[in-house]
Amino acid sequence: MIHFYHVTKRFDRYSTALQDVTFHIEKGEFVFLTGPSGAGKSTLLKLILRQIRPSEGQIVVNGRNLSAMKRSQLPYFRREIGMVFQDFKLIERMTVFENLSFILTVLGLSPKEHKKKAYSALRAVSLHHKLNAYPLQLSGGEQQRVAIARALINDPLMLIADEPTGNLDPDLSKDILQIFADANLRGSTVLLASHDRDLVHRSSRRVIALDHGSIVEEKQAAPEKAAPRSESLFVNW
Amino acid sequence: MARDFIHAQYEKQIPSNTFVYFVREALRRIWVSKRISFAAVALIAISLLIVGLFLLLAENLGRAVIQAEGKSRLSVYLDPKATPEQIHAVDMWLAARPDLARRHFVSRDEALRRFRSYFSGLSDVVGQLDENPFPASFECEVTPGTIHSAAFAPQITELRQLGGVEDVQFDWEWVRRLKRLVGIINIVGLIAGAVLAVAAAFTIANVIRLTMMLYHEEIQIMRLVGATESIIRGPFLVEGLLQGTIGAALSIALLFAAYFVGQRMLAPTNSLLWSFLFAGFLPWQKIVALLAGGMIAGYLGSWLSVRESGEEWVG
Repeated sequence: MIHFYHVTKRFDRYSTALQDVTFHIEKGEFVFLTGPSGAGKSTLLKLILRQIRPSEGQIVVNGRNLSAMKRSQLPYFRREIGMVFQDFKLIERMTVFENLSFILTVLGLSPKEHKKKAYSALRAVSLHHKLNAYPLQLSGGEQQRVAIARALINDPLMLIADEPTGNLDPDLSKDILQIFADANLRGSTVLLASHDRDLVHRSSRRVIALDHGSIVEEKQAAPEKAAPRSESLFVNW
Repeated sequence: MARDFIHAQYEKQIPSNTFVYFVREALRRIWVSKRISFAAVALIAISLLIVGLFLLLAENLGRAVIQAEGKSRLSVYLDPKATPEQIHAVDMWLAARPDLARRHFVSRDEALRRFRSYFSGLSDVVGQLDENPFPASFECEVTPGTIHSAAFAPQITELRQLGGVEDVQFDWEWVRRLKRLVGIINIVGLIAGAVLAVAAAFTIANVIRLTMMLYHEEIQIMRLVGATESIIRGPFLVEGLLQGTIGAALSIALLFAAYFVGQRMLAPTNSLLWSFLFAGFLPWQKIVALLAGGMIAGYLGSWLSVRESGEEWVG
């Protein structure tokens, strides 16, 4: 699903954000991308979304070589990815509902479908009662959940999140991670960047660790434990 | 597989409610930036009002030209010492030419009577003269086709050389001048209109550029969630189009108000000039042209802005 081949990203002669990074994430996987601040996590995510281009190497996402992708194809490619940004990127002048329905307008869905889809996406993050609230009226955690609902609304092939639990308390972090786990169960490939080593190491998911722009460690996912479906998700964290 | 199919379907979909979204967003943005939008609309309205005034002037002068051309006259003034035989010969000469056959003899007394009725203020001056200063003449009605025919000029030369003919005058020379004036007014109007429309288009371009800066972050988010350039640019293009349309409609309303007031207040003063200038309003084709001019200027302005922004922003 996501393939990096010897990818290097330099912003100028003196700052190399990523150095010769190669990894492969298969369809349906749940992967943590970890590393300290400045390790290159956000740069890597930006490369996947093709916000920036690599200086060297090739990136293939969902069978498309991003270097060869035409600009006109970019919007359709991005619609396959549900992205949760570190700074949420919610539109402040729009209500929670409008922030979600706006995506559906972009995708060409009828206004009738907007309400139904927005409501169910917000219900998945337990914010269906805040439909008419504005982002600034919400707490950081709630804004984060709206951003996740927006990423999930299109039932994306890939779900990518940049520090989704960055400023949240442990209980809320667990809830947020559960949402990603549910999306993964529904078939989305999940790539989650976090600098929270404890959180990452508590989980049994695959981990790619970055430091100074290079992969320093790769931990494969532990085999799933035999447990009821809902319970196994919880145990896996 | 099913999910892949659904995603493939998205690529082919053209948003059904896109135009409604464009118009709604454009109206909202105009409302949010009321003052700056008003400035753009006002500039378009003023530009097109000036063009409209030129068009109206040219239109009514053009009507006067057509009216004058329809009843052009050729006057053959006779020498006061012309003998009845010479006068008869001139009459026969005119009768022999079908283009000039519709003629009327104006005697010296009739010419004096006419002068007194047209210029009643000057009749005392004429009364002080010892004798009637006005010559007798033949007045021929000439069609516009005759005036423009190649054979006409030699005929006039021949007429001038007839015995008993003092002078030959025709009133289409001023019609020609008036026509030239109408042409000049049209050209000046079009040049002024084009310059002002370009200025208005650039103003709209700047207004749209400012709006785009205001929505820069929103546009970035739209790009990141997969909005196509046409969906991002659509509301801005519609915004410019609406500003141009509103400005043009306003200019037509103002032009009509000016015409209506002028017709009511100035035309009844019996002045020939005012009655000419307020003879009628613009025909519908020119009203549509003004409206289209505003729409094009608005659309062009916004198109220039979104085109630039597309080149600047790498998504």
